[in-house]
Amino acid sequence: QSDVPRPRGVSLSKASLYSPTKDFTCFDGTVTIPFNYVNDDYCDCFDGSDEPGTSACLNGVFHCTNAGHRPENIPSSRVNDGVCDCCDGTDEYAQPETCKNTCEEMGREARAEAQRLADLHKAGNHLRLELIEKGKKKRNELAEQLSQLEKDKTEAIKIKEEKESLKNQLEAKENEVLQVYRDAEEKERKRKAEEEKEALIKEGTEYFSMFDTNDDNVLTVDEVKVVNAFDKNKDGEVDQEEIQYFLGTNESVDKETFLSTTWPMLKPFAMSEQGVFQRGVENEELDDQDTDEATRDIETDEGDNEEENAEDDLPQDVDQEVEPESSRIYDDETQKIVDEASEARRQWTDAERAVREIESNIRNFQQNLEKDYGLQQEYATLDGQCLEYEDKEYVYKLCLFQKVTQKSKNGGAEVGLGNWGEWAGEDNKKYSVMKYTNGIACWNGPNRMTTVNIHCGLETKMLSVSEPYRCEYNIELATPAACDDSNASQQQSHDEL
Amino acid sequence: VDRNNFKTCDQSGFCKRLRPFKPEKSQYTLNLDTVIVHGNVLSAEVTTANTEAEKKVPLWKYSLTLSALVDGTFRIQVDEADPIYPRYRTQLALDGEPKADGLQLVSKEGGKVTLTNTQGHKVLITAEPLKFEFLDQNGDVAVVINENSQLLIEPLRLKREKNDEDEENAENAVEVEEEGTWGENFKSHHDSKPRGNEAVSLDVSFPDADQIYGIPEHTDKFALRTTTSGEPYRLYNLDVFEYELDSRMAIYGAVPVLYAHGSKRTVGVFWHNSAETWVDVVNYADGTVVSSLVNLVTGGHKRRVDARFISESGIVDVFVMLGNKPADVFRQYTKLTGVTPLPPKFSLAYHQSRWNYVDEADVRGVDENFDVHDIPADVIWLDIEYTDRKKYFTWDSEKFRHPAEMVANLTAKGRRLVVIIDPHIKREAGYFLHEDATEQGLYVKDKDGNIYEGWCWPGSSSYLDFFNPAASKYYSERYRFENFPGTSKDVHIWNDMNEPSVFNGPEITMPKDCRHYKPPQDGQDGLASYWEHRHIHNEYGLWQIRATNEGMLERADHKYRPFILTRSTFAGTQRYAAVWTGDNAAEWGFLQASVPMCLSLAAAGVSFCGSDVGGFFKYPEPELMTRWYQAGAYQAFFRAHSHIETKRREPWLYEPSTTALLRDAVRRRYALLDFWYTLFYEHTLDGTPVTRPYFQEYPNEEETYTIDDQYLLGDKLLVRPVLEAGAKSVKVYLPGRDTNTLWYDVDSYQMHKANGYFNQEVNIAKIPVYQRGGSVVPRRERVRRSSTLMANDPFTLVVALDANNTAQGSLYIDDGETYEYKNNKYIYAKISYEPKQMTYTLVNPSAQFSSRAWIERIVIAGIRAAPRTARLHHGGRSTALQMTLHRGNDVLVIRKPGAPVSEDWSIQFAE
Repeated sequence: QSDVPRPRGVSLSKASLYSPTKDFTCFDGTVTIPFNYVNDDYCDCFDGSDEPGTSACLNGVFHCTNAGHRPENIPSSRVNDGVCDCCDGTDEYAQPETCKNTCEEMGREARAEAQRLADLHKAGNHLRLELIEKGKKKRNELAEQLSQLEKDKTEAIKIKEEKESLKNQLEAKENEVLQVYRDAEEKERKRKAEEEKEALIKEGTEYFSMFDTNDDNVLTVDEVKVVNAFDKNKDGEVDQEEIQYFLGTNESVDKETFLSTTWPMLKPFAMSEQGVFQRGVENEELDDQDTDEATRDIETDEGDNEEENAEDDLPQDVDQEVEPESSRIYDDETQKIVDEASEARRQWTDAERAVREIESNIRNFQQNLEKDYGLQQEYATLDGQCLEYEDKEYVYKLCLFQKVTQKSKNGGAEVGLGNWGEWAGEDNKKYSVMKYTNGIACWNGPNRMTTVNIHCGLETKMLSVSEPYRCEYNIELATPAACDDSNASQQQSHDEL
Repeated sequence: VDRNNFKTCDQSGFCKRLRPFKPEKSQYTLNLDTVIVHGNVLSAEVTTANTEAEKKVPLWKYSLTLSALVDGTFRIQVDEADPIYPRYRTQLALDGEPKADGLQLVSKEGGKVTLTNTQGHKVLITAEPLKFEFLDQNGDVAVVINENSQLLIEPLRLKREKNDEDEENAENAVEVEEEGTWGENFKSHHDSKPRGNEAVSLDVSFPDADQIYGIPEHTDKFALRTTTSGEPYRLYNLDVFEYELDSRMAIYGAVPVLYAHGSKRTVGVFWHNSAETWVDVVNYADGTVVSSLVNLVTGGHKRRVDARFISESGIVDVFVMLGNKPADVFRQYTKLTGVTPLPPKFSLAYHQSRWNYVDEADVRGVDENFDVHDIPADVIWLDIEYTDRKKYFTWDSEKFRHPAEMVANLTAKGRRLVVIIDPHIKREAGYFLHEDATEQGLYVKDKDGNIYEGWCWPGSSSYLDFFNPAASKYYSERYRFENFPGTSKDVHIWNDMNEPSVFNGPEITMPKDCRHYKPPQDGQDGLASYWEHRHIHNEYGLWQIRATNEGMLERADHKYRPFILTRSTFAGTQRYAAVWTGDNAAEWGFLQASVPMCLSLAAAGVSFCGSDVGGFFKYPEPELMTRWYQAGAYQAFFRAHSHIETKRREPWLYEPSTTALLRDAVRRRYALLDFWYTLFYEHTLDGTPVTRPYFQEYPNEEETYTIDDQYLLGDKLLVRPVLEAGAKSVKVYLPGRDTNTLWYDVDSYQMHKANGYFNQEVNIAKIPVYQRGGSVVPRRERVRRSSTLMANDPFTLVVALDANNTAQGSLYIDDGETYEYKNNKYIYAKISYEPKQMTYTLVNPSAQFSSRAWIERIVIAGIRAAPRTARLHHGGRSTALQMTLHRGNDVLVIRKPGAPVSEDWSIQFAE
């Protein structure tokens, strides 16, 4: 305790700013008041600096010395409110009997707690050093394995390149002998296409003349309106939308445009109209109705349903199946060349896969090597280690640097509470908090995530699991990796100030 | 909302049946020979003629009473003269038997009876067709009943057994039973309707009215709209999941009171009925009303509103309140149904709730975080998860092992706990409440007389029948500290789900044919021996909160004021509980709706109203959250609450800049807490709303009649919450043009002359609030952790001058939690400012309360000629005071007058 005279609620370091022999200027410099306005229970300064010892200013600060324990600054709204906030009780001077001075006791407890922590850190530090050693060793092993993999990769690439060259050679040969077959096929395909096109035009022309009731070689809206085939949604009426669908924005369409644009679209409907595509219609319709009923229960918007059904009813174009080359029959010599090329392709694929596998391994090793296991690799050996914690309802599992899960004791699937994200401690305490993010999404909410707060402990275990916010979990984890006796001694000396 | 779960008028048998009923002329006739006027009551017989045109109304006899009540109010009751069994009369809405006024028979001639009360209001009863006209003190017709001939009482009948083939009973045989008379279906639910049809209906016309208001609770506008082209307003207490906005659908509350207002007068009608009710409205000024109809009915005069009540059962029992100013009619209504008693002060402060604070550590953490972040709070709430698996009056023994300690930890900082207690009871063997209720017969019965089982939070549940005095008494006793361990006088109660909510019931509530207790009477058995749920439905929650209130009074020997929050609301609810607007969502629309919804409830007696700040469903982004806190700080019930499946959102979980805005909003509330407390005290004196529509104070200013996004607190503060996303400015209406009213921005003391709308620029920190020139508002600027801790703190008086440089205000102080104020332990002072002197005078000198509080500052806004000197005169001493004049905005600040709040004083000013 100091004997320097200072107004109530002022810390030693600020005492010099309050001089009884001078007028007082607010810390923000805006107002100067007679010194007897300081602590007169009326707020004159916007920054609250004139009332350090009363509750007059909303934003004021009251300093308690708390001799025997830690000094403290409290908001001045806690001065004389009947609640003891300072352990020395000085905040309740209006009714001094309200609070006892508990600083000695609290200081003693705080020092004992600090000592306990220091001892723990000291004991745990040995284990931590072991972890660091193992971590570094593990890292070195990884590095060695990685360099071996790099060598393997070079070798594998070489093999792949050899196989590729062989493959290219044989495929060129294969191409040559197959060209004859392909040319023949192409010719046949073209012929068929030509035939079809002609048929389409012929058919289209017939229909056009049928629709063009006044034979003026132009189809008008009026002519179209009476044709059932244009009633795309089969509602018994050819409406504006349907006309636009088939004719575009034009009022009419000439024969040429009809054949090139309208007919290909219309044909399926025209055919359907004539019953050409009605294979097994009766059965299908029954089925449709059943599903219809079912969907209606779920979807209230029946309009949507009808539209979907209309499209379902559309006869599908049947894709002409292209026969795969392999299934064709070649003469013996050609077949041999094809077989050789196939074998070369297979070998090349295998070689390529081998390279990919090695590369993937390398990436994994690199990722592990890049993973941040603490300043001295003290967390490296914990990677993949899984811990469990049970409460009344759930079993929680934390696999360090991997993921967090939860399983109900009443059964049910495991729920992911997050995958390894990052270290997330604040400032210089980066390695005190882990975040596991992107777990299973909550109903109506975000993806689950877990925060792991790490404390020094003699063994690695979960101390508690809670869900402070919906779908945001909190794990308190103890591990020797977090023990540090240098840190602890610093803390202790700070407490004793 | 899933609308399929709730009935339209067409799906509600009696509404469908009666809504089209509009005969050429009423078949009801007053039998003039039977008229007797005795004391304040006219009684007479009314009969119906069995005309060919209207078979719906059979020849029947009814008894009519018309009584004159104090304060310009009349009551008309029409019941069957000789019903086959009694019809239900709503029991708890009225705050005791209304007081009688004198009633004098003026004349009985020409088929008309004329009566007058002692205040000069007249009633003209036309005998045939029956019509009641109520005349204001100027002799003008103010209210007409049965003008549209829609008075109807369906007489009770006996159900004829099918095997009854009595040929002689020819008359009955002719009568065709309408389908649905003896049973109705809705979705998969069957209503057995053992009494058949028993609906009542009545129309009321309001000549000269521009707008009508009332019949909460709906999400519609404050001013009611014409319903002709759609559904009527529905009054039926329902738990509507994700209720929709701008709707006339029924939700949690039903208060059947209507007010009609125009520049000529304000009148009101209270339809005293607790059954399902539909209300149709026709406003002849409304664009949707066909003009030919307007001309026909009003002779081209557009100012008139008609309303019509249709209820499923009960009698015709209607109170006519003749105003004739808005404040008069609001007062008249609370004279009938009671005022909100003075709430414990903490309940007007900030409440922090969530479904759910998961355990004691969570509660402690939330409590501590308010201090860490320097945000005041008075109450932490626990939703249903604190119980042992939804068994009320128990605790989850894992998560809440030490409830008493938890409460003590809160009360150490002047805070309270509110816990939820719902009316459904878990049907679980070994649960004392369920076993006692089963054994003692305290549950509601189903249509066959067995205990009714429904589904609610706990799963299979039964419902206490509070109509049984033994059930109410038993329930009250559960609140005793020894019966509910861990609670204390500082634990208050939230009664939720009391519509009642029944997850598997018709419209998510109790079947209408469930049976409630009726006191046994000789010769009454069968249908006469119980009430059906249909009769009492809207009243159910009121019976629950009454029992809760009784229990909370008894647990503390009637020393401490209880705080109760209820969701279900009916006429009279205000006597026991505060009300919130139920399960809203974090959307701007719900923030907007909270203002008219609470204005409407306040006009219907329930001033203590608020919405879940931040929204119950969904997550409020920072801007919405900020605006909601800012709005909530100026609504009576100020509680943040959220759904269990939503992201946590305590104020400190936002970015620091948002947290700072939320802190500022809450602090504004605490600074004005004594102003709120004084308003609620004054409400107990005059019964007028604490939160008021503009037209209450400015009844002649027509532009204000439909304003419901801004309002007044008392007659002193004007609040225009920012209810729109991204607002850079808001339209504020400043009423009082005719009286040269001035309004001062409370942030800057900038003066505005009342001249209708102006644009107020806003940033995210701005809450447009104005103090009326001519008022004094007390503030406490030392905001602490809770209101309790501020009890001894000094006051700042803000004096806003009117055009004559005067101002008046008041201040009420007591211990904040007991009934000692009823023993004259309080301070109620009138504060008056004139250019030469300011006085502080105790209204009732025999009332005394010792308070260490004092006046630390007086701020006088709008001062043009500042005095040179000021002297405080108090207790025979005179002290010179220091003043500072702020030229920029004409504000004079008197520094530290140090005057006490518990004694008279004055300040003399000199040039």
